[in-house]
Amino acid sequence: MAAKPTFSQEISNLLYASQGSPLKNCIQCGTCSGTCPVVNYMDQTPRRLIGMINANLKEDVLDCNTYWFCASCYHCTVRCPAKIDIAEAMYAVKRYSIWHKTYSEDLVGPTFSETFVKTIINNGRSFEPVLAPTYMFSMGIKEVLQEAYMGTQMMLKGRMPVLPTKIKRLDNFKKVIRRIIPMGGEK
Amino acid sequence: MSEKVNPEQERVGVYVCHCGSNIAKVVDVEDVATWAADLPNVEVSRDYKFMCSSLGQDLIEEDIKEKGLTKVVVASCSPHMHEKTFRVACERGGLNPFMFEMANIREHDSWTTDDEVAATSKAKALTNAAIERVVHHQPLEQLPVEINPNTLVVGGGIAGISATLELANAGHHVYMVEREPTIGGHMAQLDKTFPTLDCSACILTPKMVDVGQHPNITLLTWSEVEKVDGFLGNFTVNVRKKARYVNEEHCTGCGICIEKCPFKVSDDIFEVGLSERKVIYRPFPQAVPKYPVIDKENCVYFQRGKCKACQIFCPTEPNSIEFEQEDEILSFDVGNIILATGYDLFDVKKIPQYGYGRLANVFTSLEFERMVNASGPTEGSIVLRDMESTPKSVAIVHCVGSRDENYHKYCSKVCCMYSLKFAHLVHERIPEAEVYNCYIDMRTPGKGYEEFYNRLLEEETNFIRGKVAEVTDAARIPEEEGKLIVQVEDTLIGRQRRVPVDMVILSPAMEARADSKEISQLFKMGCDFDGFFVERHPKLDPVATMTDGIYIAGACQGPKDVPDSVAQGAAAAARVAGLINLGTVMMEPVRASINQDECSGCKICNNMCPYNAIIFHEDREVSEVITALCQGCGTCVAACPSGVITGAHFTNDQLFSQIEGILWDVRPEKVTA
Repeated sequence: MAAKPTFSQEISNLLYASQGSPLKNCIQCGTCSGTCPVVNYMDQTPRRLIGMINANLKEDVLDCNTYWFCASCYHCTVRCPAKIDIAEAMYAVKRYSIWHKTYSEDLVGPTFSETFVKTIINNGRSFEPVLAPTYMFSMGIKEVLQEAYMGTQMMLKGRMPVLPTKIKRLDNFKKVIRRIIPMGGEK
Repeated sequence: MSEKVNPEQERVGVYVCHCGSNIAKVVDVEDVATWAADLPNVEVSRDYKFMCSSLGQDLIEEDIKEKGLTKVVVASCSPHMHEKTFRVACERGGLNPFMFEMANIREHDSWTTDDEVAATSKAKALTNAAIERVVHHQPLEQLPVEINPNTLVVGGGIAGISATLELANAGHHVYMVEREPTIGGHMAQLDKTFPTLDCSACILTPKMVDVGQHPNITLLTWSEVEKVDGFLGNFTVNVRKKARYVNEEHCTGCGICIEKCPFKVSDDIFEVGLSERKVIYRPFPQAVPKYPVIDKENCVYFQRGKCKACQIFCPTEPNSIEFEQEDEILSFDVGNIILATGYDLFDVKKIPQYGYGRLANVFTSLEFERMVNASGPTEGSIVLRDMESTPKSVAIVHCVGSRDENYHKYCSKVCCMYSLKFAHLVHERIPEAEVYNCYIDMRTPGKGYEEFYNRLLEEETNFIRGKVAEVTDAARIPEEEGKLIVQVEDTLIGRQRRVPVDMVILSPAMEARADSKEISQLFKMGCDFDGFFVERHPKLDPVATMTDGIYIAGACQGPKDVPDSVAQGAAAAARVAGLINLGTVMMEPVRASINQDECSGCKICNNMCPYNAIIFHEDREVSEVITALCQGCGTCVAACPSGVITGAHFTNDQLFSQIEGILWDVRPEKVTA
């Protein structure tokens, strides 16, 4: 019977399909945090998050907002001198957090991510009018009106579809998805 | 090879080594030894803690004398380590040293696995193979090879200069070949040398002058090695001496031609593009030799047939400018070769986020070196690209292309120290300037190096621990307008910082010469994936290569600073001087021979021999190997369609028995019996 995996092992297991080097290869140079366009909104820099994962500081990692603020621009991944796929590591921690329901209720990120992924699985593409409400209500009334106004304008200009559109050969796409994400239930 | 060995009568001694726990930890050495005792021909089989110890060797010696052994097998480490040790032990016992065979059960077995059963079984197979091979061994005599006392040194940087002077001062003749018009290498471009800050030119030029004037040195600048033939002690080298268009015998080096030449081009080599030079030029005032060279590509006379200003104004009699000069091929013999071909600087344009070439005030380290050099383009003042305004703040970026899997994995070793030196020079020349050093780890191992780091801390340099993410000119706040912004995480406080500065200096990696692969092929030795030449042993033989008679020194072996390069140059020279003093060395008698009675005279082997060691007798229509030239590579043995060429110590009998021996557990019964 193998010993219970440590937190850092669990995260590296979630990265099994990633092309990058293991998180343990991190030399703590700070290229990722220096590059990150949203680092000012994070309570821990990406470099420190990797350090905390390697140190098995599970609670501290799950408590911070770093991975929810990651914009997935992959700039860090491109520049990392240790070839670690940092953006992918952020996804790994996001998944861990969603599966273990460790995120706080008022956080928009998890609901947003789930709605986004579900829309993609069902339609093969994103649909903003469904996605927007998942985060809009966390904003002030003024911002909501602003967003709604911009949405309407975009619809009028034909930049955003009024009804959800689906991609061609959606069945094939779903088969691909089913291979990547084990969803259980339906065949 | 005439006397036939009768395998039935051989008496073999088998010695299985524990190598402390290196082998015994995985291989059941006692079991291997007991098992081997029952094998055919085996007279005695023992296991011992350290076979290479004097006691272990005595064991072999005594058994040869007392039990009348005729052959010896030691199952231990790699023949690279101890084959010689045991051959000598056999010789002391009264046997021909080639009556010995080694089975490698350490590198090839115990170090590769934790599986004790499999390792023991493999150790048996390897030992058995050695036993079955050794009974076919024949006595051989080593061949003496004379060492030509002349030496070739390739590269005239500080490593090459050091090697050359050591040998020349010891009274040996040295040919030094340098690709550029002058010797001096990268060190001649530097201003100060860390950590003592002595002037680079002041300590280098006396050595350059020594090389230029030494009676034992033939200096060939503006020349390249084209062809190398031969082997240890007897190399023949062809060197292309490129046309200088200046007669070195008549030229006095007065420099009037340089003064009068009406055309200028950017000096991309010595001044790294920061200033211009004339078309007929001498890279720098202290160049050795002093003769100028005409840059044919840019010379108006060569392009359009008019001008000849240099020739008209040349005051020597006869005139030193010879437009009709052509490349010369020189050929000479040497006994040993030292390669000191140096390094190239990493091309920082490969990292676009640092903005070199796009943002004017981003400089490379070599540009900065030239700038702070008193004889450089700005006569020592630190200025921005407009060549007049003084920077008020400077950021120095470490690890540009080093320690980065996308470019070079290795640490370039010298950048931390010269970046600190740069910071000091900025403080010294512009006392009011702010200096930022952005580093991943500060690596300052070396005598006086850490003290230099402390000195910079006292000089109030700003140290930011973090690899620079990008250099940009896109300002976000008014203070950043018109500045270069260095964006970096200060990892010690865990926050991204944007540091506005006037000037950025990149410290690029040292990399192997762009043509190092071709050079390694030319000299028939190895280079690694990064292009650096491979030493024979990383710790115990750092200046020799796997090819006998070829040595390496300086940054062509790996990133290195001046003291290390000088030490390696001297070390390589000491190795060569040792061989020259011996006069002759004994070479392995592993040589090919052709059975003259059975040779069909097809000549296939003649052209295949890489050492031109096979001649064809027209009268008898048979080929013959000149033993003195043969290097025992075995090419002809494999190529001979009649199978009449034999490689000594690698005969068919020996190899087939070895193969059968290794397959002892699967071969049919009748062969075993």
